[in-house]
Amino acid sequence: MSPAPLLQLRQLVKNYGGVRALRGVDFDLHAGEVHALLGENGAGKSTLIKIVTGAHQPDGGTITLAGETVTALTPATARTLGIACIYQQPALFPDLTVAENLALRLEPAAAGRRVDWPARRTRARELLARLGAAIDPEAEVRSLSMPEQQLVEIACALGSGARIVIMDEPTASLTQKEQHLLFAVVRELRQSSVGVIYISHRLEEIFALADRVTVLRDGQSVGTHPVSAINEAGLIRLMVGREVSQIYPASESVAREVVLSLRGVGCAASGVHAVSFDVRAGEVFGLGGLVGAGRTELARVLFGLTPADAGEITLNGQRVTLPSPQAAVAHGIAYVPEDRRRHGVVLELPIAHNMTMAIHRHLFPHTWLRFGAERGLAREFIRDLAVKCSSPDAPGASLSGGNQQKVSLARWLATKPKLLILDEPTQGVDVGAKSEIHKIVRRLAKDGLAVILISSDLPEVIGLSDRIGVMGGGTLRAILPGQSDPHVVMSAALGTAEKGAA
Amino acid sequence: MKRYFRELSVVGALGVGLLGLAIFAPAFFQPQPLLSLVTREAPTLVVACGMAFVIICRQIDISVGSMFSVCSVCAGLLAARGWPLLLVLPAAVALGALLGAVNGLLVAGLRLPSIVVTLATMVTLRQGLNLVRQGEFVNLPDRVQWFGLSQTAGQLVLVAGAVALLVALGLAMRHLAAGRFVYAVGTDAEAARLAGIRPQLVTFLVFGFVGALTGLAAMMNLAQSPQVQPLSGLGLELKVIAAVVVGGVAISGGRGNLWGAFAGLLLLACVAPALTHLHIEAYWEKAIQGAIILLAVVADGVRSRKGGTG
Amino acid sequence: MTNSVKRDWKSVLLSHEMLLLYVLVAEWLFFFFAGTTTNRRGVIVGFGTLDRQFDILRHSCEIGLLALALTPVIITAGIDLSVGSLLGLCAILFGKLWHDGGLSLPLAAFLTLGIGTLAGGLNATLITALRLPPLIVTLGTYSLFRGLAEAITHGAITYTDFPASFLFLGQERWLGLPAQAWLFLLVAVAVWLLMHRTTFGRGFRTIGFSPEGARYAGLPVGRRLALVYMLAGFIAAVAAIIYTARLGQAKADAGTGYELFAITAVVLGGTSIFGGSGSVHGTLLGVAAIAVLKNGLACLPVVMRLNAAEEMSGLLTGALLLLALTGSVLPKMLSTFRAHRHAAQPPSPSPSS
Repeated sequence: MSPAPLLQLRQLVKNYGGVRALRGVDFDLHAGEVHALLGENGAGKSTLIKIVTGAHQPDGGTITLAGETVTALTPATARTLGIACIYQQPALFPDLTVAENLALRLEPAAAGRRVDWPARRTRARELLARLGAAIDPEAEVRSLSMPEQQLVEIACALGSGARIVIMDEPTASLTQKEQHLLFAVVRELRQSSVGVIYISHRLEEIFALADRVTVLRDGQSVGTHPVSAINEAGLIRLMVGREVSQIYPASESVAREVVLSLRGVGCAASGVHAVSFDVRAGEVFGLGGLVGAGRTELARVLFGLTPADAGEITLNGQRVTLPSPQAAVAHGIAYVPEDRRRHGVVLELPIAHNMTMAIHRHLFPHTWLRFGAERGLAREFIRDLAVKCSSPDAPGASLSGGNQQKVSLARWLATKPKLLILDEPTQGVDVGAKSEIHKIVRRLAKDGLAVILISSDLPEVIGLSDRIGVMGGGTLRAILPGQSDPHVVMSAALGTAEKGAA
Repeated sequence: MKRYFRELSVVGALGVGLLGLAIFAPAFFQPQPLLSLVTREAPTLVVACGMAFVIICRQIDISVGSMFSVCSVCAGLLAARGWPLLLVLPAAVALGALLGAVNGLLVAGLRLPSIVVTLATMVTLRQGLNLVRQGEFVNLPDRVQWFGLSQTAGQLVLVAGAVALLVALGLAMRHLAAGRFVYAVGTDAEAARLAGIRPQLVTFLVFGFVGALTGLAAMMNLAQSPQVQPLSGLGLELKVIAAVVVGGVAISGGRGNLWGAFAGLLLLACVAPALTHLHIEAYWEKAIQGAIILLAVVADGVRSRKGGTG
Repeated sequence: MTNSVKRDWKSVLLSHEMLLLYVLVAEWLFFFFAGTTTNRRGVIVGFGTLDRQFDILRHSCEIGLLALALTPVIITAGIDLSVGSLLGLCAILFGKLWHDGGLSLPLAAFLTLGIGTLAGGLNATLITALRLPPLIVTLGTYSLFRGLAEAITHGAITYTDFPASFLFLGQERWLGLPAQAWLFLLVAVAVWLLMHRTTFGRGFRTIGFSPEGARYAGLPVGRRLALVYMLAGFIAAVAAIIYTARLGQAKADAGTGYELFAITAVVLGGTSIFGGSGSVHGTLLGVAAIAVLKNGLACLPVVMRLNAAEEMSGLLTGALLLLALTGSVLPKMLSTFRAHRHAAQPPSPSPSS
C-alpha cells in the first residue's frame, strides 16, 4: 500500500451527553482499497461516518486526509475534499427526475446558468451506465424503488469524482442481481484508486469485496485484519468479544399460557413475511437481529400501524385482526416504540398527560378529565419507575432520554396490557437507567406479562430473554434458548447459521 | 408525454368544454367578445404565473388581491398627476416587489407560515387602502387607456404582452438554473440546502417576484378602463390559486408548471361566459369554480395515494 | 397551556392570555375616557354607555362564534377558511327553508344546524379520508359554499319579514343581556369545556403537537379531526341563525370575510398556528380585543370626522395579527440562535432496525 493513506483517523473520541459513542478509534483507508467496517449496532459505526462526513465534530483525536490534518470538517468541506457517502435512505428530490437530481448535486449552484437538458440527460445516462443500472434518466425519483434511488446516490458520488466513498449497508434492500451490479461498481471504484469504506452486516459480502476489515466494538476498534488472514468465525469472535459478563437480573418467572401466537404472519408493504412464533405469559421473548431485519416492522404489524395481510394472529386463544392501533390497544397489546422523541412521548405535553394518553377511556370514563386521578396515577408511576422529574406537570422535553423512556413505558403499563412490545428500550440511555429498565422488564415478566423485547444490543437480548427469536430479511430465522452463546445468535442473525452451528 | 399527463388532461377538459360551446353556443366564438374576455384575463394570467412560482416553492400568497388594488390605485394616482407611463410602469412593479418582499421577509426570515402572514398583509393592505382612499375612484387621463392606442390594438398589445411573459417565464422555469432551484426548494428544502441552494433566499425572492408581477398586472388592468376601482383586486387571490391548482401545480410544492396554470386559468375563465351563452345563471360561477378546485385536488390526492410513494 | 397545570403566580401573570387581558383593559379604559362625550342636550353618548357596550357584544357574536369554531381546528394544526362562506350558505338555506319551504322556524333552524354539520363533514371527509391539506380543501369549499348561496338566491333574493319572536334573538335583551349573547356564552362554555375539560380536547392538542405521536398512542386521529371540522360547520350554522336574527334578513353575502377576523382573533388569543397550544379563553379575549378596537375607534371624535372607523380597525387588526405572529416566534428564534452558538448536539436516536 502507498505510504500516505487517503484517510487516517487517530484516537477519535465522541460523547453524546453521558453516552460514550467513540472511545479512541484508529482507522486507515488507502487509495484503491475497499475497507470494510464491521460491528454490532451501536458499536459506533454511524458515529464514525458522521464524523468523517463532517456532520458531527469529534471531541478528541485527529483526522488526516492525504497527509494533511483537518481540524474543522463540515459537510461542505468534506464534499470538496472528495468524501461522498451513500446512505441507506437516499436524500433525493422525489418530485424531480433522475437527471435533474444528479445535476442539482453536481452542477455549480449558480442561479443564472442556462440549464442544458440534453447534457444533463447524457451525463445521467453515462453515470448510470457505468453502474450498469437500467434507470431512465427521465423518471421521477419518487417512482423509483429504494435500491434504484440508492444507485442514483452512487451515481452522484461517481459523478462528483469522490476519492473516498462511504457505503452504509448498500445492499440491505437490493436484489441479487442488483447486488452483483453494485459489486462491479465497487470494484471499478477500487480500480480507479478510490478508497471505499464499506459497511455491511453480510459477512459473505465482506469476504467477496473487501481488502481489509476493521471491527468496532463498544466504540473502539478491536482490530484491523486483511480479509485473507481471517475467517467468519474469527470475525464473529471479534464482534462479540466479551462474554456476557454484565449482570442481568435473573429470570424468576415461569412461562405460563400462550398469550400471542403468530402463524405465517406477513405484511407486504413493510417487507415482513411468514413469521410464526408463540409468546407466553411470564416470559420475555427477545427479538434479535441486525439493522433492517424487520423487527420494528413486525412490531408495527402487531400494533396495527401497518396491518398484516397474511397469516393468523391469535391472542389468548382467539383469532384476531389488528387493523388499527386502537384495535391493538383494545386487545391488550402495548407498544413502546423505538423513536421515543417522535412516537413515544409528546415532548410538549406534561408527563402526566403523556402517561394517561392511552387510557383515556378507563381513567376518564365519561370523557371528563379528572385531574386529581390523573396526577395521582402519574405520581404512582413516577415513584414505581423512579422517573427523575420536577413534577408530573413538567413537559416531556425536560426529561433525559432514559426518563422519557420510562414515561413512554408508564403510558403502556397503565393500560394493563397482556402483551408488551418493547422496541430498543435502552437505546441512547445511560448506564444507570439501562439497568433500571432491565429490572423493570424482568419484574413485569414475573408479574405475568408477556414481553417481546426488540434489541440490537446482543448481550441485552441474550441476558434478559427467556427465549430469543432471531430475525433477518423480514422473517424469523431461528428461535434459540435464553443465555445462548452470543456467537450462535450472531451467526443466526448474519444468516450463516447452517455453516456456523456445530 | 407521460410527464405532462396532468397538464394535458386540463387541456383536454378545456377542449371538450370549448367543443361543447361550439355546438351549443357558437355565439361564444365571436372574435370581439372573445378578445375582450382574453384581455380581461391577461392581468390575471400574469399574477397566476407568480402564484405558480409561490406554490411550486411550497408556499402560498393570498395577499395578491390586496397588493393588486394598492398597486392599481398608486399607479393611477401617479398617472393622474401627469407621470409618463414609462415611469408609472416601473414604479408600480417596484411597489409590488416591495410589498412582496415584506411577505418574503416575514415568511423566509422569521419562518412564519405563509398562509397566516399573507392573510395578515392582505387585511392590512386592503384596509389601509380603504382608510386612505375611502373607496374613491381615480380618474385616469385619456392617454393611459389602451396606452394611447386604439382599443383593438391595445387589447392585442396586452394579450400579446401577457402571453410573451408567460412563455418567457415558462421557459425560464425549465431552462434556467434559478427556475430549477424553485422546484428543488419546493420538493425538499433540506435536500436543496445540502445541494448548495439557499432555500430561505429562494423563498424570499419568490415572494418579491410575485409582488412585482402583481404590480405589472395592476398596470395591465389600469390600461383597460378610464378609472381605477379600489376594489379591483378583490377575490383575485382565489381566482389565481384556483387556476394554478386546477392546472396541476401541487399545493405540496415541487410539481407543476406554468403551462398547466395557463390551461387552468383558461378553463376557469370560460365558466362565466359559457354559463351566459348556455343560458345558465351566472350566479353559479363561484360554486362551479369551487367544485372544479375540489375536483382537481381530489384527483391529485387519489393519484398520489395510488402512486404509493408520496 | 391547560389550566389544569399548577403554576407559580409569576408565570400566570405573564402568560399570553393575561398579557392580552391587560391590553384589553387598557384599550377599554382608553376608549371609555376618550370616546365618551356628552351631547348638546346633556346626554352621555359614545363608548361609555351601556347601549354601546351591548352593541359591541351583539356585533361580535357571529365572529366570536366562528373564532370558537376555529380554535379546535387550529389547535389540531389545521385551518378552515370556509366558515365565513358556510355562514352565508346556512343563512340562505335557513331563510329558504322557512320562507319557501314553509317550515316552522324551529324546524328550519334545526335543519340548518344539520346542514352546517354536514358541510363541515364534507371538509372532514376530504381532509381525513383522502389526506388532503386542509388549506386547499377549505379554500375550495370557501368558494363552493359562497357560490351555492349566490346560486340559490340568484345573487339578488334576500329573505326578510321574519316574525318578531325570532328577531328577539338578535335584537332584544333577555335577562339584562342581548339575547344572542346568552347563546354565544352557551357555545363558548361548551367549547371551553370540550377543549379544556374532556378527553377530546386532550386528543386535539396531542394531534396538534404530534399527529404521529397521537397515532402511536392509539388515539383515533382521523375521527378526532373529522369531529373538529364538523363542529366548526355546526357552529357556523349557529352563527348564521344569529346573524339572520340580528339583521332581520338572510342574504348570500352574509359573513363575507369573517373567517379572516376569526382567524385573527384565534391567533391573537395565543393559539399557535403550528398547532398544539392555545386556549378558548384566549380566543375570547382576542375576539373582545378586536371588537372593542373596532367599536371604540368609531367613537373617537377624530376618527368620526374621518368617517373611517371600519377601515382603521381593519388596518389595526391586520397589524395586530402580524405583531402577534412575530411575537410568537421571536422567543423560539432567539433560543435556537443561542443553541446554535452553543453548538451542543443532542444525542439523536439513530433510526435502525
